Amino acid sequence: MTQYTSQDYRLTEEGVQADLQRQPQLLMKLAENALTVAESLRDNYFKNTAKFVLALRKAIYLANEGQRLESPLKTYSVGDVNWSEFQDEVVTFIDGGIGRVQISSQVPILLRVGSYCVRTGERQLTKREQFGYYPVILGDLEGGSKERKDFPDIVRITAELLGGLSALERTPDLNVLMFHGPLVYLMGGYAGHTPFTESDIDLFLNQYASDPAVVNGLKEKFLHEAFVDLYPQMTDRADEWVQRRLFEPLAWISFLYRQLILVARNRKPTPLIMGVVERGELREFSERVLLERVFHGLRVKGRLDYFNQMYGRTDLKTPKSLLDKLGYTDALLMAMLLRPGEYSEQWQINKYEGLRQGNVSLPGESGTSTVNFSPLKPGGIGFPKVSGCYVHVSETTEPVRVEMFEEFGKDQLAGAARRVYLYSRLLPGYGFPVGLDIADKFAHVPAWLTDAYSKLIRHHLGVSLQRGEISDNEMRRILVQAIYMTHRDWLFRPTS
Amino acid sequence: MVAPANTQPKNSRYVGTLVGESTSREFRLAVAHETIREQDIIAVDAELRRPEQNSVTERIRVWAKVQRIERLNPLFPSEAGHELAATRTDPFDTVLSLSREMVTAVCQVLGAEPLTGSSGGKLDHLRYPPQPASSAYRPDSSDIARVVVGELEQKQNRALDIATLSNRPEVDVKVDGHAIVTRHLAILAMTGAGKSWTARRIIEQLAEKNYPMVVFDPHGDYTGLAEVPALHNRVKRYYAQFPVFEQEPEAVIRVVESLAWELSEHQRNNFEDLFKGAKSFIEAGEDDLVERKKWLSEYLQNDDIQKYGLKPNLFFLADFVSAVVRAGKTEDNEAATRIVEWSGRDNLRIEKKVAGWIEGLVGRLRAAGKALYRMERINVKVARSAQPLPVDRKELVAYGQISVVALAGYTSDFQATIYSLIADSIFEARVQGELALPALLLLEEAHNFAPARAATSAEQRAINTTKQIAQEGRKFGVGLVIISQRPSRLDETTLSQCNSYIIMRMVNPADQSFVRKVVETLAEEEARLLPDLDVGEAIVSGQLINFPVLVRIKQPKSQGEREERDAFEVLEEARSISSGQGRK
Repeated sequence: MTQYTSQDYRLTEEGVQADLQRQPQLLMKLAENALTVAESLRDNYFKNTAKFVLALRKAIYLANEGQRLESPLKTYSVGDVNWSEFQDEVVTFIDGGIGRVQISSQVPILLRVGSYCVRTGERQLTKREQFGYYPVILGDLEGGSKERKDFPDIVRITAELLGGLSALERTPDLNVLMFHGPLVYLMGGYAGHTPFTESDIDLFLNQYASDPAVVNGLKEKFLHEAFVDLYPQMTDRADEWVQRRLFEPLAWISFLYRQLILVARNRKPTPLIMGVVERGELREFSERVLLERVFHGLRVKGRLDYFNQMYGRTDLKTPKSLLDKLGYTDALLMAMLLRPGEYSEQWQINKYEGLRQGNVSLPGESGTSTVNFSPLKPGGIGFPKVSGCYVHVSETTEPVRVEMFEEFGKDQLAGAARRVYLYSRLLPGYGFPVGLDIADKFAHVPAWLTDAYSKLIRHHLGVSLQRGEISDNEMRRILVQAIYMTHRDWLFRPTS
Repeated sequence: MVAPANTQPKNSRYVGTLVGESTSREFRLAVAHETIREQDIIAVDAELRRPEQNSVTERIRVWAKVQRIERLNPLFPSEAGHELAATRTDPFDTVLSLSREMVTAVCQVLGAEPLTGSSGGKLDHLRYPPQPASSAYRPDSSDIARVVVGELEQKQNRALDIATLSNRPEVDVKVDGHAIVTRHLAILAMTGAGKSWTARRIIEQLAEKNYPMVVFDPHGDYTGLAEVPALHNRVKRYYAQFPVFEQEPEAVIRVVESLAWELSEHQRNNFEDLFKGAKSFIEAGEDDLVERKKWLSEYLQNDDIQKYGLKPNLFFLADFVSAVVRAGKTEDNEAATRIVEWSGRDNLRIEKKVAGWIEGLVGRLRAAGKALYRMERINVKVARSAQPLPVDRKELVAYGQISVVALAGYTSDFQATIYSLIADSIFEARVQGELALPALLLLEEAHNFAPARAATSAEQRAINTTKQIAQEGRKFGVGLVIISQRPSRLDETTLSQCNSYIIMRMVNPADQSFVRKVVETLAEEEARLLPDLDVGEAIVSGQLINFPVLVRIKQPKSQGEREERDAFEVLEEARSISSGQGRK
């Protein structure tokens, strides 16, 4: 006999359906899924989803009440959190923005990382708030593979990380360091970029510290680590890399993460360091934690056909297949399972699966050589382990994912979730920490600047054309298009 | 146009930098916190090629006025504001950003002059916008004073020193007295905003120039003028008697009915003969009048007639009607013959029956006379040691003289009548060339003398008079100063004929929108300031000044009747006096 009360509307099928219909972002996502899943799943998609969610809610409830041994999902409440608990705290928010100019298409040209540091409860504005920004002109960099679409991203990740490190070092009493986006990205996707040169690193570090000794210290520390431990494991040409003082982007980024942890670890109390992700498409938590437990339970009970019967199929036998076929994501399931003001249990996020072998060309070289990125996986000298949880701020917004370093995460989970919730409550319609929104606006590269760059580039190209500096006919034709063509320019319509 | 070299202001005077789109009428300034206020006058230096000599550049100073200041924190979302309000949270306790504000001043271009100031304060229209990124600065007080005064600088005999700039108290604002006395001025404000204060300051300044003025004073606000030492012998205060026999019979019937009771049909039918007869009776020569007084006193057996004489008021009219009635009722042929002879009206030989019908008119006339007398007494009291209005109204206009006609005590109808009779006489005398001196008529509570819609014939007459002076007064040297606390009730034509305006605090939305509609020189931003003005602050606009400015009116030397004492102090003082008398 169930022990939950009949008054708990949330634990009825109608209650679940009402919940789903009340949350517009949820309803839209489910409607979108209902149209994109296989035809055989479309009928009763909404109703079956509600049934599935109801079963999960009941299981969670019973486990919380001590009437079930295992819970598919552990949830916690942020409690009666308010600002008086977090007075005299120094919080820094970091975000990066990319400025793109319209030539014939959008071309990234400028990157700006903004930081916003605030001390809660401080009345004097000059003591209360400090803004910083770290601009990088992408064209100034020699390294990185500029032909790749993710080139601006590795520059941004590096600059954001340096911004965070700089904030931590410059603010001895920093309590919270919050990044916009994942604390660590899925690094495998960024492997294979041409290493940065020392002058590139100088450009980055120019913003990070004004003292040349500090800058050199950081560079030398990295190069020493790379020379001794890392590069020999990654490449056969380790000697040459060190000799040319090359900074392989992922190795450099992993080093910066370790530096961040090192500085934080030596602080008492340890600052909360986290990344907050909105509109995440991740489904790892659902697959590896939530549904794995569900399927385990079904296997124990011998009801592995539970989902097949519900949806009238035969292939829904694993968490992966269920998510593949039904289009559920972590954010979608968490929005249906967590109540506003609740956060999920923590899990270790697999950020480094894609770190395998790749081909890399060195600066100034056209050929490539094979590089092994697997030594960068968590261990002594690689990237740090990262764990995450979901925080549901309000009914009208998707839960946000909070990522922390595994090393600090368990102790810091509650503090991080409570702060993310409190900061996000100031933007109830957005459901995202307001400080990150401020840093985002501050880091945003304004249109007037990118427009001006765009005009300047067109002007220089135009002058080159007029002077006859570009003689290749095909190149001239492409440039004319690049300078004058817009999306709807009738002059460049196809002739046939 | 470019910013001239080496003319950028020193830091202490710098107020902001031109940003965004600049036009020859308006530009925007990025300014630091609290360096500038709305209505401040600022300048931007520039270089401009002379149209006739393309190679020669002229260094000019562009003058502008801050119309609006926008303060924006782009990092503070309004959504967060609502959340703070709902949870009663102090923003300083949160992680919200409060330090990054953008302050932008929207400035209206007033005109430009050579940087040397050689144009004598006259501003030319700017035909090319100032350069973006130019620096704006706070000009010297003397420069501001020069351009505010404009061409008046060269015509000091016309300048009236009435105010200082509201945001720069060290800068005197002088206005063109010529524009006021020839092209009319309207002073518009809500009660207590400082209308009379302003008017008295203007009167005192005009008096220094000996300009003849006639002030129609419904509340005794201008009696204090006589106490200013410099004006001591030049202010003449008059109390106003309602000139019964200068009215049409119909008008007098309405007066009697409004102050006493309605007339019967017979009384109404016979009223014209009785009224005109009485008028002829009293308009006799001195000797005849003595005889008629004696006869009337004896016939009515009323010694008071002999004692106090015959005066052209309702009491006399009552006595006259009483005599006609008596002669009719007693069929006294001899008395009737005398009445007909002295009144020139055969119809006043009435039958006994008719005498009975009109007998009740006597009581009505006496009751109305008493009510009117009460008003006159209040009027005399408020006018304080005043003299009656001269029979020849032209005497009100004299060189260096301020004639204050007290209208206090009378209802608005009577006030309108008295005003229109006097104003008509003066205007007519000027038109006919019978009055040599020009005159300025000052109408306090002008909405009673020139209302948008006339409720009575007296008001209609006052409207016609005011309209005529407003439209044609300039040709004949009769100016108007219209003062009103309810501008929306004023006649639109009259107000629009005023070429100068002093507009003070105004809260009533109907008044504000009416003023915006009628006063062409009042900019939208200035109109928005009206409800927020301080007492004594005013927007001066129109022909009396070079460009509209926000000013603080200087204190007049005279005091008004209604602004003197604290009511509770007066109470305590009265109590101590009365208790002192009790002890005696």
